Amino acid sequence: MKEDNITVKDIFWKFLKIGSFSFGGVYSMLAFFERELVEKAKWLTHDEFVESVAIGQMTPGPPIVNTGICIGYRLKRIKGALATTAGQSFTGTLLAILLAVFYVKSKGNVLLTSVMKGVGAAVVGLLLSIIFKMSKNTIKDLKAALFALAAFSALAVFKLNPIGLILASGILGLLVYGRRT
Amino acid sequence: MVINALTIGGGFVMLPMLQKEFVENHHWLTNQEFLDAIAIGQLTPGPLTVMNAVIGYKVSGLIGAVLAMVSSYLPCIIIVTIGAKYYYDYKESIIVKSSFKGIKPAVIGLLSAVAISLGNTALVDPLTFGIAIISFAVIVFTKTDPSFVIIGAGILGAVLL
Repeated sequence: MKEDNITVKDIFWKFLKIGSFSFGGVYSMLAFFERELVEKAKWLTHDEFVESVAIGQMTPGPPIVNTGICIGYRLKRIKGALATTAGQSFTGTLLAILLAVFYVKSKGNVLLTSVMKGVGAAVVGLLLSIIFKMSKNTIKDLKAALFALAAFSALAVFKLNPIGLILASGILGLLVYGRRT
Repeated sequence: MVINALTIGGGFVMLPMLQKEFVENHHWLTNQEFLDAIAIGQLTPGPLTVMNAVIGYKVSGLIGAVLAMVSSYLPCIIIVTIGAKYYYDYKESIIVKSSFKGIKPAVIGLLSAVAISLGNTALVDPLTFGIAIISFAVIVFTKTDPSFVIIGAGILGAVLL
């Protein structure tokens, strides 16, 4: 990690770009984090990225926003955290205020609805691609696969609370992996 | 009113909570205005939290919007920063290490469940399925920027859907 070369300004611009293009909800932002921060800028490793997503899920508040804040903190402490927050929310906030000022009736606009339908479908694809990439790096043995499967079914089938799930898997992880070392 | 916006902004993107606070308790917004705020939040890039800016604007103009944003992000920044600090401080300890060995795959499981529920609403016909599959393949197999995928999908949606 050559963290010293990264300036707060760099972080702000990166997250401004991410925040400006991530239409269709926060889950598309994960694809941007991965591409921009892990693959292009190499500010984070794959593993650190997964850690940040985990921390984002565990903390109260919007999980993906929190992931960004955590990455910012990882890069440049509190200044980085502020820069990521400002960057990732700037464009959306500006547009939202403009829309509120001009009171655009979004529901009635047919063209906009179809654009958002297309984008919504793409976001599902983007999210799947992130899951695919994360799995390649994280799920390396049967035990890890079982953890993933258990969490998946707990949320998809039994609709349990995600934060509780993360805590439970941490405790289980401690029991399963803590003893061997 | 401005000060209230600051204290109530709260940071948790829990729509039911926001709805109760702003529509039912304070009558700052009508239900329709609240729904419009959600729609705008979904339309704009970035997190849905920007809908708080819309609510702030409705309540007390530009200052309200800015205050709403600041107050909805501030708790997140504080909590996550504290969480991240402890995580990085104790990252190498056996307790944190082995817990995260369980947490990391679980996060993938959680995201997969989210993908399925998003898919249920977004993938409604062969075309939307096609767009999702193409976006997946483009990101996994090429070095294309995700912004092109989003823009491309939007244009495809406008032309075909």
